[in-house]
Amino acid sequence: MTEELDLLKKAWKKDAHAYEQVTENQIYKMIHKRSSSIVKWILMISIAELILWAAIGLFTVDDNYLKTLEMYHIDTLFGVLTVINYAIILFFIYVFYKNFRTISTTDTVKKLMSSIIKTRKTVQYYIWYNLAMFALIFIIVVISQITYDPSINSVLENAKDSNPQAFWIVIGLTYFVLFAVTFGLFWLFYRLIYGFLMRRLYKNYEELKKMDF
Amino acid sequence: MSNSLEQSFVTQLKENQNIVHKICRLYTSGEDAHNDLFQEITIQLWKAFPKFRGDSKFSTWAYRVGLNTAITLYRKSTRTVATTDMEGKKQFIAPDDYNFEEEEQIKLLYKAVHQLNDIEKALVFMYLEDKDYEEIAETLGITEVNARVKMNRIKGKLKKIVNP
Repeated sequence: MTEELDLLKKAWKKDAHAYEQVTENQIYKMIHKRSSSIVKWILMISIAELILWAAIGLFTVDDNYLKTLEMYHIDTLFGVLTVINYAIILFFIYVFYKNFRTISTTDTVKKLMSSIIKTRKTVQYYIWYNLAMFALIFIIVVISQITYDPSINSVLENAKDSNPQAFWIVIGLTYFVLFAVTFGLFWLFYRLIYGFLMRRLYKNYEELKKMDF
Repeated sequence: MSNSLEQSFVTQLKENQNIVHKICRLYTSGEDAHNDLFQEITIQLWKAFPKFRGDSKFSTWAYRVGLNTAITLYRKSTRTVATTDMEGKKQFIAPDDYNFEEEEQIKLLYKAVHQLNDIEKALVFMYLEDKDYEEIAETLGITEVNARVKMNRIKGKLKKIVNP
């Protein structure tokens, strides 16, 4: 009995003459159209993310903000943190660019997938870094607020007299919920965006890895 | 981009367009999806073309870029509804040696291949194109031995689907 695939091969070769041919003109038109590949999507989303996080720092700075920092005695600390932050952001942009350049459709299927995953991971680490920085700043601000802010202090003094334990629990819970919600939203957002873009790629990559033990 | 580069690309792709059609044939079903993938592969080929040195054949190079686009870059799911009809893309002229039973089996086989996953399809595609295991392995980025093992498994799988 002929093997199934060889039977198919016979038909496959016969079918090759039956494809409706595109003209040179049609090819011309096609090469001037835009690609909608996942690499392009990842690039656009990543650039938006890099800009967004870098911009958050710039837009929050105003006179009021600087005065508050001084009042909290963290103006020097924040100055240093800002410089370090931007150095790290620049470093991420550099690594992202470098990884992005290695994505090539002329590589092997496996290598192409791993370059895309690597580029995507860079952005993922960038987001983790920003969330960690966000958490750090949040904690510093909360501590200095409790220590130095006169209005908060007066509230604290009043509350301590009546029911200190309940007060701290409420404060703690409020901050915790605020934090959890922010993180939760981020997590959900990334699951949706990248889940949609990367699911098939990860599945195929796993398939290849499983095959090539 | 210079016009001569464009001209050279268009001419070569027109001559080799069946490679792209054949990839679309395995990875999509329906005329719209076929044309959509054809266009994306064409764009990716064009983008990679300035780096194409001509030290390999245009067709060999096109196989790789085309498969990479179908498997990895193409955004829309290529999960195919298992159909057997050719939907306007191809016209069938029954040859003299038309064999109904064989034709039925071929339909079944196409349907079975459409049910395979993206990587398995790539292996089948290169097998159908008479590529040796060295080239199959090199295109996918796996070892030759593993390409052979996988191919045998796929053959077994297809046999089971066609002769349950």
